[in-house]
Amino acid sequence: MQIWNWHGFFMYLGSGFIFRGALVTLMLTVFATCAGFVLGTVVAVMKRSRHKGLSLPARFYIWLFRGTPLLVQLIIIYTGLPKFGIRLDVTTAALIGLSLNEAAYLAEIIRAGLDAVSPGQIAAARALGLEEGQIARYITFPQALRIIVPPLGNSVNGLLKTTSITSVISMEELLRRAQLLVQEHFMVLELFTVTAIYYLAMTSAWDMIQRRLENYVNRPYQRTATPVLLEPEANIAVTS
Amino acid sequence: MIRFENVCKSYGSFQVLKNCSADIGRGEVVVVCGPSGSGKSTLIKCVNALEGFDSGQIFVDGTPVRDPATSLPRLRARAGMVFQGFELFHHMTVLENIMLAQRVVLDRSAEDARARSLKLLKRVGLAHHAMKYPVNLSGGQQQRVAIARALSMDPVVMLFDEPTSALDPEMVAEVLAVMTELAQAGMTMMCVTHEMAFARQVATRILFVDQGEIIDDMPSADFFSGQCSDRARNFLERIL
Ligand SMILES: Nc1ncnc2c1ncn2[C@@H]1O[C@H](COP(=O)(O)OP(=O)(O)OP(=O)(O)O)[C@@H](O)[C@H]1O
Ligand SMILES: [Mg+2]
Repeated sequence: MQIWNWHGFFMYLGSGFIFRGALVTLMLTVFATCAGFVLGTVVAVMKRSRHKGLSLPARFYIWLFRGTPLLVQLIIIYTGLPKFGIRLDVTTAALIGLSLNEAAYLAEIIRAGLDAVSPGQIAAARALGLEEGQIARYITFPQALRIIVPPLGNSVNGLLKTTSITSVISMEELLRRAQLLVQEHFMVLELFTVTAIYYLAMTSAWDMIQRRLENYVNRPYQRTATPVLLEPEANIAVTS
Repeated sequence: MIRFENVCKSYGSFQVLKNCSADIGRGEVVVVCGPSGSGKSTLIKCVNALEGFDSGQIFVDGTPVRDPATSLPRLRARAGMVFQGFELFHHMTVLENIMLAQRVVLDRSAEDARARSLKLLKRVGLAHHAMKYPVNLSGGQQQRVAIARALSMDPVVMLFDEPTSALDPEMVAEVLAVMTELAQAGMTMMCVTHEMAFARQVATRILFVDQGEIIDDMPSADFFSGQCSDRARNFLERIL
């Protein structure tokens, strides 16, 4: 047996089977991030609430999902729920498990972001006559986003790789498909090098997106050496 | 325009405001002064209900503040407030800062809000800075924008809580100039400030507060010609 089979390496690199596995990984990550962000926001807002009826369930949720391995959560969701008459296919179970788990982590990140908004900013909005909902929408959430984006990026990077755990419930994502192909030709190193390249490509792409997001949310806070250009209307008003 | 009737407030066993009563008429400029921790900020924040109080009543243009039937956002929209720390929304440009509440509280059209904002910016001498973010303005400029932002709601009264205390000396004058112009234009103003020259020249009346009590309430000419209480005279000697 050869140490390294270039032919096999390129065969796997160009394999549609593996590529589609990577697309599944991507789909799982995007879905769990979006669903986790929405649910995480709800949980974060609940946890910050003064009402025990809201904050206690939120704390319980975070405690539960951060205190147990995703692996265990996935198996319980996939094998346990059907016993209560809830039939789930593998993909649905994987999406639910990943989203619930991610939501617990994002809830803590979002809560920290919301807490970081200074009370003075909120008092100023209140003094202008904004309602609490309007303050959340126009002041608190946009300002919290700046705090949230860096750790959120970290979490998404982790999630890209964590999706591989869904292979235990036979979700055919990137890692599972690599494992399936290993059985065929036993070119373990070539196959997993290809797998690593796919993960690297996806995490690198995310790095780029994250940098742009960070630049976007930081733009108002950057001191500009050059004078900011005025919009034409502003110029007219100045000279009139 | 603002009437305080026996306003009392306690933090636990500590009484911050003790039976405060005063009546501020339309177009009056009232300066509130007194030692640190005497309750000046608390008193002025009760006017737009940023702080609650335990008993007594405040009327703003006839509207009772401590009344469940009063819509606090609507009351606050009619009382502009300027803070010691400026509190411009840092994620928004100067123009967006001034437009926000006009758009979401008063439902003004974008063009209308924009035109009014630019006019106000011109009034405070900052027409060229509409498109900048607050981080790129000096403290004095930020405070003038904050005044423009408060004025954008067409308030019936303006409340100032130490508007120049966080400013370098050379910037104090530019903010006081805007406030003086506002006073001459007939605005009803309540200002917590240690700027005694401003108080002497611009204020119609002085409220001297000490340990939560309004000790003196008299025309500024009388206050500064020595008809004030001994406590106020002591206070003046210490800060002048
Ligand atoms: N949330 C709070 N809990 C307890 N005590 C408070 C609270 N807020 C303010 N105080 C106390 O109430 C008193 C009045 O505070 P306030 O901020 O109104 O004073 P001030 O006259 O504005 O002082 P300064 O000149 O320092 O701004 C102070 O003694 C302060 O310690
Ligand atoms: Mg104060």
